[in-house]
Amino acid sequence: MELAWYALLGLFFAGYLVLGGYDYGVGLLLARGADPARRRAALNAVGPFFLGNEVWLVAAVGILFGAFPLLEGELLAGSYPAVLGALAGVILVTAGVQLRSRPASRWARAGWDRAITVGSLLAALGWGTVLAGLLQGVPLHADGHVAGVAHLFTPFAAATALAVVALVAAHGAAFLALRLPATEGDRLRPLARRLIVVAIIAVAAAAAVGLLSDRVRGAAQRPAVGVLLGVSLVAALLLARAALGRRRHGVAFAATAAALALPVVLVGATLWPYVLVSTVDPAASLTVADAAASAPTLRLLGWLALPLLPALLGFQAMCWWIFRGRTDSRAPVYW
Amino acid sequence: MDTLLLARLQFAATASVHFLFVAVTLGLVTLLVGLQTAWVVTGNPRWERLTRFWGQLYVINYVLGIATGIVMEFQFGLNWSGLSRYVGNVFGAPLAIETLVAFFLESTFLGMWIFGWHRLRRGVHLALLYGVALTAYASAFWIMVANSWLQNPVGYEVRDGVAHLTDFSALLTNPALGMALGHVVSAALLTGGLLMAGISAWHLLRRTPDHDLFRTSLRIGVVTATLAISLVQGFGFAQFGPVLSVQPTKFGGTSPEAEALIAEWSARFGPGDYLPPTLANVGLGFMILIGLGLGLLWLLLPLLWRDWIIRLRFPLWLLMLAVPLPFVALILGWISREVGRQPWVAYGLLPVDQAVSPISGWLMAVSLIGFTLLLGTLAVTNWVLLARHAARGTADPALGRPPAQPAADDSRPEPAFA
Repeated sequence: MELAWYALLGLFFAGYLVLGGYDYGVGLLLARGADPARRRAALNAVGPFFLGNEVWLVAAVGILFGAFPLLEGELLAGSYPAVLGALAGVILVTAGVQLRSRPASRWARAGWDRAITVGSLLAALGWGTVLAGLLQGVPLHADGHVAGVAHLFTPFAAATALAVVALVAAHGAAFLALRLPATEGDRLRPLARRLIVVAIIAVAAAAAVGLLSDRVRGAAQRPAVGVLLGVSLVAALLLARAALGRRRHGVAFAATAAALALPVVLVGATLWPYVLVSTVDPAASLTVADAAASAPTLRLLGWLALPLLPALLGFQAMCWWIFRGRTDSRAPVYW
Repeated sequence: MDTLLLARLQFAATASVHFLFVAVTLGLVTLLVGLQTAWVVTGNPRWERLTRFWGQLYVINYVLGIATGIVMEFQFGLNWSGLSRYVGNVFGAPLAIETLVAFFLESTFLGMWIFGWHRLRRGVHLALLYGVALTAYASAFWIMVANSWLQNPVGYEVRDGVAHLTDFSALLTNPALGMALGHVVSAALLTGGLLMAGISAWHLLRRTPDHDLFRTSLRIGVVTATLAISLVQGFGFAQFGPVLSVQPTKFGGTSPEAEALIAEWSARFGPGDYLPPTLANVGLGFMILIGLGLGLLWLLLPLLWRDWIIRLRFPLWLLMLAVPLPFVALILGWISREVGRQPWVAYGLLPVDQAVSPISGWLMAVSLIGFTLLLGTLAVTNWVLLARHAARGTADPALGRPPAQPAADDSRPEPAFA
């Protein structure tokens, strides 16, 4: 039961990184040019999906609270500055995308666009730090509390945060290449391919720093799985680059999507059966089963999730289906 | 710095801003459902124009509702990790259900509704709005289930210092829930109705174009607000009984029940001040005054006959001036409910000082100042945008604007309305 909920938590958080990831990637790419028409086209390429993408995070945190209350408190409070940064970023992007076209002045719109870019950067850095924080273990004491927040500030956390920024930017470019009108999308291919190379370098750097870090090596319960998943991440990125070269935009987007989902799987699988590994007291480490809510709560939520999950995924799929394909001049413009 | 006080201030600030926006969301979406249904059923374009105009305001307002909602959700874990540690097994369930059943679906539907104009069949497009409205009400319901549990914890047993769920149905039949839910939902309808009436009144006073459309929305707003204020009053006064039966100390009570409860708490948790601050009662008094004052809306209802409400003009001024009142009352009522629960997070079960996260004061202060500034700025910006779009009138809101015809030789994604 705990495993099923842990998988569901992973599904929603990975889903958020994939879907919210291209929102943020598009947000970062707004910084590349001041052409207002092009910026607006990029945002409206995300258009109908935007609201549905952001709420994967809301659902993930809901599951975290309902099914893993102990983890919720310690993870969020224990990674306070990282979560604060990510949250500020999420708010800026959410408000920025929805409000940027409401003022008519070019100046105001450019200001909102900057807010979206900064927000996207903060969100990517913040979630990268949270993931790295899990992987390098936390100072969890016998009283069950994570002590302080200084444990977050390590080279590995910084490298991972930057790697997530690079991943998100590459993913955003792959999304735009797939979604914008063919000529416009084609023009983005070289940029997307360059960004994928940057992402590969950033991921490799983060992996190297991680392998050199005592804390990461100490926290990893299944290092082989971690290395394997890290290698698949790089393989996914290489595949994305090759696919872009052959104009297989769908394949490329699927590959960068996998590259954003894999870090979640990597963290979950490498630490299993733990979710918070203590760096100060091995006995204080928190297993997934210990972190989970008690059986009656999980049973109740389970009965609810059984019919609900197909509906949630179904309505999301409906949204993707209705607005599938490339945007054109007849596509609705609202953001 | 006192981490507990800072955490409480942050919760109060975020929740207050959140409340101001979600009340409008809930009220307006109900009216929008009516407007769009009228459009789909009659096919009359005047209903489409009304749906687009009020829908535009609804969508702008929604932005801050979702932004503050996300901050609220994270705040439980960030600032109140003791809450999830000790009562998360019970309190977490309704919140998790709310995010999945309501929040997630509401946003998914709304995204499709905004971009679905001229693309989806009218019936499907209308069904999406019904989905948005239903999930909005579901959201209010589950949040009130969770909040009522904090007011009056039920359906649990404590083992090893941690609360475990024993009876979920007790959460749904919580005496702190029913009347409060009715009160909050009708307050949202009042807020939405009065906002609609006030904005329409502004246009009618200025004699802007589309007199006819604003006459219609004025009438809808006035009728909605008038009916809603009576519901607000009814549910409000009906709350006193159940609330005082489960929370005898709520209104600073010196009843025998309150004294017995305080004696019991002193024995279990040690001596302390178990009465809420007087702030809670002062706010309650003002809120009741506003509620009774708005009851005068009934006097405006007969003036709808032969448009006397418009011809006399001063009722329009009154409606405009009344728009802020429900917002003030919302905050005061909320303060009364939440501050009246002090010094507990979960009444009689978990004191606030045990629930707050062991975070250093300065970090909590950074979070408080940062998020209050961020959300405060966004809220003010949002209201300015709302006011501008309200003043612009029904001529051509961006929401639901028909896409331009594709130019034969233009393959650039030229935005149709930059």
